[in-house]
Amino acid sequence: MAELRQIAFYGKGGIGKSTTSQNTLASMAHYFDKNIMIVGCDPKADSTRLILHEKAQNTILQLAAEMGTVEDLELEDACKPGAGIFAPDAPGGWINCTESGGPEPGVGCAGRGVITAINFLEEEGAYEEEGLDFVSYDVLGDVVCGGFAMPIREGKAQEIYIVMSGEMMAMYAANNISKGILKYANTGGVRLAGLICNARMTDFEYDLAWALAKDLGTQMIHFVPRNNIVQRAEIRRMTVVEYSPKSDQALEYKELARKIINNDMKIIPTPLEMDDLEDLIMEYGLEDAADEENIGQAEGEA
Amino acid sequence: MFILGFHFPAEMGNTVPDEKVLEKLDAAEVDTSDVTEIKMITEYHGQTEELSYTNKDTFMFKALAHYVKTAETDYMIYTNRYQISELSKRLDTDDETLALCNKLDSMAHFKIQAA
Repeated sequence: MAELRQIAFYGKGGIGKSTTSQNTLASMAHYFDKNIMIVGCDPKADSTRLILHEKAQNTILQLAAEMGTVEDLELEDACKPGAGIFAPDAPGGWINCTESGGPEPGVGCAGRGVITAINFLEEEGAYEEEGLDFVSYDVLGDVVCGGFAMPIREGKAQEIYIVMSGEMMAMYAANNISKGILKYANTGGVRLAGLICNARMTDFEYDLAWALAKDLGTQMIHFVPRNNIVQRAEIRRMTVVEYSPKSDQALEYKELARKIINNDMKIIPTPLEMDDLEDLIMEYGLEDAADEENIGQAEGEA
Repeated sequence: MFILGFHFPAEMGNTVPDEKVLEKLDAAEVDTSDVTEIKMITEYHGQTEELSYTNKDTFMFKALAHYVKTAETDYMIYTNRYQISELSKRLDTDDETLALCNKLDSMAHFKIQAA
């Protein structure tokens, strides 16, 4: 039996992590027969909706609250089999889905939900299912909160894929996540496995993403172009792989899936200082270098 | 590390020498001898353009011919396209090829076929 691989998708909020991860994992299951469990680690609980064809599945925290405590919860309640081509009895690989959930907005610590969920899944033997090839965590944010760092802090996820784009804040978050990986690399064994550029189709985006990857010591494993078919599939709560398996975009996700399955580049990253990150962006012409006296000046004033 | 779809072992690091990529292309032993012209159709915001490329003595031609012969469809994967351009800018010198590199670097959608 092949060794279970625990991977995680990290990235700035709104970058398209859940969309990218679900489409990629769908490709791994559909085209390459991989069996996968998705652990959604975002309070929005949107990491599994395209696989389940649902708005949002009941989360572990939600179910635990209804039952009284997490100890009263059974794995079958919190872990749902994928719909359509991802169901256990469908040809190809299967996908199981869980969502950690989180507190009401403005109340409590969202990271706690991640910790509770992962502990629950481990105690219930969710990772011991026959034939399981991959566990995939879909994690919000940029690792400022210890709860969101849980999958990398305690060696749960061994290989991290950072979803980013050529925009400043996405690159900042990618660099920050790399700092988190570096911090826990020696204690938990976590490694950076690559950047995935979920393109905004801005100028020099490939060059910029690749330059950041090089500086971090990793690879830009795939450049995912923007394509409206992704949104059309999402409206039907489907991945592109299922919605339009012969489409060009499905081919992009298939190629990314193939690379992740065969990827052996897992490194301890070398994060950049903020000044170096800004220099990188200026080098590719996205921002003009600003003289000190022009900082804070509007376009017409500088 | 993946370049033009080929896997390079992690111990090679994240900067693979160009000659290693060329070695992989040669080792793939894909017969491209019948390819004399590469045709591409680009599309961006509704604007289409047809391109033709015939310079057989270049890395660009070799890489594109290999792509045409091995790809599942006529769609060009963006990553591969950008990587072909990146390598070609270092390995090829003629103006026609460098002009094509600029086209490949764009955000346009590319279809490719052998003529």
